[in-house]
Amino acid sequence: MEFGLSKEHQMLRDMLRQFSNSEVQPLAKEVDELERFPIETLPKMAEIGLMGIPFPKMYGGAGGDNLGYAMAVEELSRSCATTGVVLSAHVSLGASPIYEFGTEQQKQKYLVPLAKGQQLGAFGLTEANAGTDASAQQTTAVLDGDHYVINGSKIFITNAEYADTYIVMAMTDKTKGTRGISAFIVEKGTPGFTFGPKEKKLGIRGSATSELIFENVRVPKENLLAKEGHGFKIAMKTLDGGRIGIASQALGIAQGALDATLSYTKERKQFNRPISAFQNTQFMLADMATQVETSRLLVYRAAWLKDMGLPYAKEAAMAKLFASEAAMSVTTKAVQLHGGYGYTREYDVERMMRDAKITEIYEGTSEVQRMVISAAYLK
Amino acid sequence: MNHSNYKGVMVYIEQRQGEIQKVSLELLGKGLDLAKELDEKLTCVLLGSHITHLSEELVYHGAEEVYVVDDPSLSHYMTEPYTKALSAVINEHKPDIVLMGATAIGRDLGPRVSARLHTGLTADCTSLEIDPETKNLLMTRPAFGGNIMATIICPDHKPQMSTVRPGVMKKPVRNTSLSGSIRTVEADLSPKDMNVELLEVVKVEKKRINIEEATTLISAGRGIGSKDGVVTIESLASELKGEVSGSRAVIDLGWVDKDRQVGQTGKTVRPNLYVACGISGAIQHVAGMEESEFILAINKNPDAPIFEVADLGIVGDVHKVVNAVVTELKAYKAKNI
Repeated sequence: MEFGLSKEHQMLRDMLRQFSNSEVQPLAKEVDELERFPIETLPKMAEIGLMGIPFPKMYGGAGGDNLGYAMAVEELSRSCATTGVVLSAHVSLGASPIYEFGTEQQKQKYLVPLAKGQQLGAFGLTEANAGTDASAQQTTAVLDGDHYVINGSKIFITNAEYADTYIVMAMTDKTKGTRGISAFIVEKGTPGFTFGPKEKKLGIRGSATSELIFENVRVPKENLLAKEGHGFKIAMKTLDGGRIGIASQALGIAQGALDATLSYTKERKQFNRPISAFQNTQFMLADMATQVETSRLLVYRAAWLKDMGLPYAKEAAMAKLFASEAAMSVTTKAVQLHGGYGYTREYDVERMMRDAKITEIYEGTSEVQRMVISAAYLK
Repeated sequence: MNHSNYKGVMVYIEQRQGEIQKVSLELLGKGLDLAKELDEKLTCVLLGSHITHLSEELVYHGAEEVYVVDDPSLSHYMTEPYTKALSAVINEHKPDIVLMGATAIGRDLGPRVSARLHTGLTADCTSLEIDPETKNLLMTRPAFGGNIMATIICPDHKPQMSTVRPGVMKKPVRNTSLSGSIRTVEADLSPKDMNVELLEVVKVEKKRINIEEATTLISAGRGIGSKDGVVTIESLASELKGEVSGSRAVIDLGWVDKDRQVGQTGKTVRPNLYVACGISGAIQHVAGMEESEFILAINKNPDAPIFEVADLGIVGDVHKVVNAVVTELKAYKAKNI
C-alpha cells in the first residue's frame, strides 16, 4: 500500500501551488466581487498544460492523469473556486466525452483545440424540468437530411457563452425514454444557438452560468457522439468523471479555508493570547483538518481508480458527497473562527463559504450521490 | 315575522350617469327565472335623477313593475340617500327576494340596506336557485378565495338579499312587445340625508394594472420569437381587455417589463383567464399561474409541459393562432353589439 505522491505528482503539485498563488489568488476577490469570468487566466492555464491535463499528447493534452487533474482543480480552487470549476467543466464535461466516446475525426476536430486550451468546452444536460431527473429531457433533435435539428433549452450551464464547444443532450426518440437520448457536439455560433442572461448566484460568482437556447439549430450528422440513443449513458459516465472534478474543487475550497483559518487564529489575540491557544479553537481546527484529509484520500482514490482503469463510479460519488459536505462544514467553521471579520468581504473565508454550497448541488446533488452509493451496495 | 306578506323578486337597477349597467339586465334575466319558479312577479327599482326614461328598457327586459325614485339627491351614487330610497321601496312593496350586482356600488349599498331592514345578505353570489321544498333562495358563492363553494340560505328573515357577481347570469332577450307598469315612488328624501359632500367625480383613463389584480392575462414566452412579437400579444390583450405578462425568458430578453413577470421569481397570479403564448411551461413558471381559473396554452411543441396544466391547448404557431383569435373576436363583437 502506497500513500505517498510520486516524484512527478510532487513536482506537479509544487508547480500548481505556485501558479495558484501567483496567478489565481490575486484575482479571486475581484472575480467574485464583480461577478467577472477570469478570462485572462485561461491562456496562462493553457500555457502550463492544465486545459488538457489528463489527455494524451497525441490529442493536444499534457499526457497527465486523473490524479494530476484532480490536484489541478484542487489547487486552483484553494485560491478561487470559480477558476477551479472553469477547468473542471472544461476538462470533465466538455472535453472528456469527446475523448471517451468520439470518433478519431471528432477528436482531431474538437478535442485537440480543447486540450490545447485554444478552445473552451461546456456540457448541456440540465433543463428546467430535468434536473436530478435527467431522463426527463425535452430538448429534441430530429434528423433532417444530413443534419439534426435541435430545439429546446438547457439551463445552468457552466462556461456558457465563453465556451466554443458544447456537448448537448437531446431526445432523438421520445418513445424510448432514456434510450432515446443522444449526445451532440454543438459549436458556438451555429445559427439559432443563443444564450440566456447570466445567472446571479450565491457563490462561484465569476463562473459564467447561463441558459443555452436552441431554435432550429442544425448540427451536422457527424457531430452525433457515439450512436443515437447513447446520450444518457454518455451523460452518466461523464458525470462520474465530473464528480471527481467537483470533489477536487470542494477539497480545494476546504483546504483554502483551513489554511486561512490556521494563520488567522495564530495572529488574532483575545484575552492576551492568540485565539489558537484556546482549546475550542484547537478542536475545531482538528476537526477541520481531519475533514480535509479524509476528503483528500477519497478524492485521490477515485482519481487513482480511474487512472487504473478500474470501476470508480461509487468512489467518485463518495468523494463528491463527502468532500462537498466537508467543504460546507469547514468553511462555516472558518467563518466562525474569524469572528466578525470572517463575515466581512475583506476576508476570503465568507467567499469560500458561499462557494462551498454549490459543490453539494451541481453535477449531482448530495442526495443523488447517496442514491448512487446505496445502489452500488444494494444491488 | 309574517313571511306571507313578502312576495316576488325585486332587482335593484344600477345606473351610472344614466346608463343601465349590464349586470342589472343580467339580474333581470335571472330574476325572471326565479319569479317563474315561485309563480310570482318580477319587479325592479330604478334610483337616480332624470332617469325615468330608462324604465321602458327595463320592461323590455322582463320587469313587470318598475319602481322609480327620481330625485336630484340621487344624481350621483351616495350611500345614505340610496340606502334610504331603496329601503323605502322594499318596505312598501315587500319583495321576497332582492338582487343587486356585486359591483362597487352594489357591495356598498347591499349591506347598508340589509342592516336597515334587519335581514340576511349573501355577497358575490355565482349561482341562485329556489329550493323546491321550502321555496327558500339557495345562494351559492365562492368562499376562502374560491376554494370552497358555500350555499347560504336566509330562512327566517325577509327579503332574502343577494349581491351577484357580474357576468355569471345571462341577459334576457330584449323584447319590445313586453308591457309593464311604471310607478313613481316618493322616498321622502331631504337635504339632510346628504351626509357626504361630493366634491368631484374623476374618471381616470384605465392605466395598466398590476398583473396580480388582472382578471385576464395574456402571457408571452420566448416562443413569440422577438420583441416585435409582443405586439401580437398586446392585440389579443386589448381585445380581451386583459393585461400583458410574460415568462422569465422574455423579461430577461427585455421584451416585457420586469414587473410583468409571472413565476416563482416573479408574481403569482390567478386570473380568470390565463393565455400562455409560446411558453414551454417550466415548473418555475407554472408555479406562478397554475391556480388560474382557465388556462389556454398556445405552443408549437405538442410535448410542451404547459399543456399539462392547460384547460385548452392549441398546437400551432403563436402568431398565426393569436391573430386568428383576434380576427374572430373582432367579428364576434361586430355581430353582437
